[in-house]
Amino acid sequence: MIKFITKRILIAIPTLLIIIAFSFSMMRVAPGGPFTNERALPPEIEKNINAAYNLDKPVYEQFYIYMKNITRGDFGPSFKYKDFSVKELILNGLPVSVTLGLSAIIISLFLGSLLGIIAAINRNTIFDYSVMGVSLVGICVPSFVMAPLLSLFFSLYMGILPTSGWNNGNILNLILPITALSLPQIAIISRMMRASTIEVLNSNFIRTAKSKGLNESYIIRKHVIRASILPIVEYLAPASAGLMTGSIIIEQIFGLPGIGRYFVVGALQRDYTLVSGVLILYASLLILLILITDIVRAILDPRVKI
Amino acid sequence: MNKKHIKIIEDYSNIKGRSLWVDARRRLFQNKAAVISLFLIFLIAFLSFFGPFFLKYSFSDTDWNSIYYPPSLNNGHFLGTDGNGRDLLVRILYGGRLSLTIGILATLVSVFIGVIYGTIAGYFGGKLDIFMMRVVEILYAMPYLIFVILLMVVFGRNIYFLFIAIGAVEWLTMARIVRGQTISLKEKEFIETSKALGQSNFMIIWKHIIPNLAGPIVVYITLMVPSVIILESFLSFLGLGVQEPLTSWGVLISEGSREMETAWWLLIFPGIFMTITLASLNFIGDGLRDAIDPKEY
Amino acid sequence: MQLTQKNIKNNNLLININKLNVFFNTPEGLLHVVKDVNFNVKKGTCLGVVGESGSGKTQTFFSITGLLAKNGYAEGEANFKNYNLITCDDKIRRGFLGKSIGFIFQDPMTSLTPHLKIGDQLAEIAIYHKKITKSEALQRAAEVMDVVKLPNNRDIINSYPHELSGGMKQRVMIAISLMCEPDLIIADEPTTALDVTTQAEILSIFNDLKNNLNIGLVLISHNIGVIAETSNQVLVMKNGQILENGNTHEVLTKPKNDYTKHLLSCIPPWIKN
Ligand SMILES: Nc1ncnc2c1ncn2[C@@H]1O[C@H](COP(=O)(O)OP(=O)(O)OP(=O)(O)O)[C@@H](O)[C@H]1O
Ligand SMILES: [Mg+2]
Repeated sequence: MIKFITKRILIAIPTLLIIIAFSFSMMRVAPGGPFTNERALPPEIEKNINAAYNLDKPVYEQFYIYMKNITRGDFGPSFKYKDFSVKELILNGLPVSVTLGLSAIIISLFLGSLLGIIAAINRNTIFDYSVMGVSLVGICVPSFVMAPLLSLFFSLYMGILPTSGWNNGNILNLILPITALSLPQIAIISRMMRASTIEVLNSNFIRTAKSKGLNESYIIRKHVIRASILPIVEYLAPASAGLMTGSIIIEQIFGLPGIGRYFVVGALQRDYTLVSGVLILYASLLILLILITDIVRAILDPRVKI
Repeated sequence: MNKKHIKIIEDYSNIKGRSLWVDARRRLFQNKAAVISLFLIFLIAFLSFFGPFFLKYSFSDTDWNSIYYPPSLNNGHFLGTDGNGRDLLVRILYGGRLSLTIGILATLVSVFIGVIYGTIAGYFGGKLDIFMMRVVEILYAMPYLIFVILLMVVFGRNIYFLFIAIGAVEWLTMARIVRGQTISLKEKEFIETSKALGQSNFMIIWKHIIPNLAGPIVVYITLMVPSVIILESFLSFLGLGVQEPLTSWGVLISEGSREMETAWWLLIFPGIFMTITLASLNFIGDGLRDAIDPKEY
Repeated sequence: MQLTQKNIKNNNLLININKLNVFFNTPEGLLHVVKDVNFNVKKGTCLGVVGESGSGKTQTFFSITGLLAKNGYAEGEANFKNYNLITCDDKIRRGFLGKSIGFIFQDPMTSLTPHLKIGDQLAEIAIYHKKITKSEALQRAAEVMDVVKLPNNRDIINSYPHELSGGMKQRVMIAISLMCEPDLIIADEPTTALDVTTQAEILSIFNDLKNNLNIGLVLISHNIGVIAETSNQVLVMKNGQILENGNTHEVLTKPKNDYTKHLLSCIPPWIKN
C-alpha cells in the first residue's frame, strides 16, 4: 500500500510542475505581467515585485525562484492589493471557501448517493420519477440562475433567510449558498448512482445473490453498494472541481468573502499573481483528491492492483 | 399485464435487420422528450436568428418612457424592459444568437482537437498512446474554468478568443471517447484488410475510422453545446466573457440577478430561455445516445 | 448406469412443472419464449435439458426460481413441496432458494461478487438460512470444497474471484449451491464456458453428486453428448416448446422427432453407446 501511494505521489509531482510552469509562462507572456518590464504600476507595488522576482536574472533562474517560493506557500505580492501578498489574501478567504466547499461536498455525496440508490431500487415508481425530475432541474438550471432564484424566493419573498453576507459563518447565512452550490452536484451524483446501481442490480453476481435466497436489503448492503459506489468515488475529483468553480459564482452572488471572491476581483483587474496563485492552489487540491480517489478505489475494489 | 392489447410475437426471428441509421432515427422519433426538445431548439434558434427582424424595437433602442416596464402586451414590450428602457425580448433573442453561436463554434473547435488527438492516440497505440493519455489525465486535473479565466485575463477579453479558450479546454472527453472507439475499431476485420492492401495510415484513419466515429461524435456534440453555453454564461456572469454592447444570456442573467428586487422579469425570462435550451439539448443528446446505441451506454 | 422409468417411485417426485409459460415485454411486443411446458424432476435422478441457443432453456428455470428479468413474467405451475413457485409469496420462494434449490449459472466468470472474498460468499448462504455462526459456516464450506475438489486452504477462502481460474470459480459456484444440502440443483450449462479438461472434471463432480447424494439434478446443455453421459431423463426444447421428453436411453436410440434426430446426428457415435 505504501509503495502504491508513493508511486501515485511520484506521478502527481510532474503534473503539478507542469501546472506551475504553465502559470509561470502565462505570466511571462502576459502584457503588463510581473515578468515584463513595461508596466504602469504604482511605485510601491513595482518595488515589491522587483524585490520578489529578481527581474534582472535570466528566465530559468526566475522560474527556479518562483518554484521555490511556491513550495513555501509564497505566491508573491498581489498586483492590485497594496501591502498584501497573495498568500495573505488566500488565507483570508480560505475559512469561508472551505466551510462552503466541504459542507457542499459532504452533502452532495451523501444525499446524491442515497437518492440514487433508493431511486434505482424503486425504479419506475413515483419516487424514482420525482427524484429524476428534480435532478433534471438541478442539472438544467445553472447555478447562477438557481442561486438568485433561491434568494429571490427565500429572502426577498418569504423573508426567512438573509440575502447575503458571511456574518461570521452564521448557519442561516450558509443555508442558501450551500444549497445552491450542492444542488447541481446532488443532481449529477444521484443520476450517476442510480445508473450504476441499476447496472449492478442487473449483473450476474446479483442474480447469484438472489439465487441464494438472500433478502433484498441484505443484497443491497453486502453485494450492491460497494460495487455501485465506484463511479461516485471516481467522480470525487470532478465534483470538487465543479464545486470550486461553482463557489466562485456563489460567493459572488451571496457576497461571501471567500477565495472565489478575491479571484473574480483579481481576474477583472488583471491581478496575475493572485489569479495564478488560486489556479495553483486549486490544481494542487484536485491532484490531492485524485490521489485520495485512487486509494479509496483500491480499498473498495480488490481488482485494482496495488 | 393485459395481453389483449399487445401483439404477441410468436415468431421473432425476423425482428432484427434494417440499417443502423434508419433504426436510430426511428428510435429517436419514438422518444417523445427528444422530439419535443428538437422542436423547441429549432424554435429558439429560429427566433434568435430571425425574430429580431419582426420586432418593433432593436436591441440597443432605449425607450425612456418605459424604464423597468413590466411584461405587457400593450406597448410591444412583451417581456418588459430593463433599466435603460431596452426591450428584454429583443435582447434575449440577440443574447441567444450569441450564446448559441459560441456554443456551436467552441464545440466544433473542441471536436476538431479531440477527434484528431483521440484517433492518433488510439490508432498508433503503444508508448505514444500512454503519453498522450497521460497528458489528458493531467489536463483533467485542472480546474478548467479557472484555466479559461487565466487565459482570458492574459490575452484579454475578446469574444473570438473566448470560444477558442473554451474549445481548448473542452476537448478532453471527446479525445477519450474517440480513442476508445478507435481502439475497438482498429481490431475490426475491414481495417485489417485495408492494412493488408497497403493503404496508408492516414487514409485508413480518414476513410474508415473517422466515418465510423460519427455516432459518438454526434451524441457528444449535442451534449457539449449546452456545457459550452453554460461556461460562456458563467464567464459573462462574472463580467469576464461577453462585454457590452454585445449581450449573451449570461450577461442578461447577471444583470437580472442584480436587479431582481426591482424587476423580477429581467432574471426570470433569460433564465427560462437558457434553461429550456439546456434541457432540450440534454434531452436530444440522451435520446440520440439511446437511439444510436441502445445497449452500450 | 441408467435407471429405468419403473424404478422411480412416484413419491420421489421433487418438482412438477405444469403448463408453464414465460413472456417478455419488449418494445416490439410481447415475446412468448416458453410455451406450455410440462415435466417432472425426481429425487436421485438427473434431468438433462437440450436445445439450441434461445430455445428457452434458461428462462424456463429462471421463471421457476423467480429470477426472470424485470420485463418478464410467468404463468402456470411449478409445484415444489406443496407450493406453486410461480404464484407463491416472494418470501416463501426465497426460503427455498439457496436452501432447497441450488442454481449454478451459465457464466462462472461473472457470477461471483467481485469485492467479496470466496469464504464470505460461501459462508453467507449458510449463515443466512441456517442461522449458524461464521466459523461453523466456514467449517461447512471446508466440507463442500472437498466435495467439489477445491484445495481446501486459507488461500482460496481468502482470495477474491478475480484471482481464481474459470474452472475454480465454477467449483466455487457448485460449492455454494451445496452449502445448505439442497434437494434440487439446477445447473445451467455449467461447462460451456470452460475448456475441455475442466469440463470433464466438472461433469464428474456432477456425476458424483447424483450418485452419492439423493438429490434431483437438472443439467441444461446444448451439447447432447454431455446429457447422454450424465442424465437419466431428457427434455429436448426448441422455440420454447418441449419436442421430446423421455428416458435418455430411449430418446437417444429411438428419437421420435426430426429435430432430435438432427441433434443426434451431430454427436460422435462413440458417445451414443
Ligand atoms: N429480458 C428479456 N427480454 C426479452 N427477451 C428475452 C429476455 N431474456 C431472454 N429473452 C429471450 O428469451 C429467449 C429464450 O432465452 P433463453 O435464455 O431461455 O435461451 P437458452 O435456451 O437458455 O439459450 P442459450 O443456450 O443461449 O443459453 C431468447 O430468444 C431470448 O432472446
Ligand atoms: Mg441459457
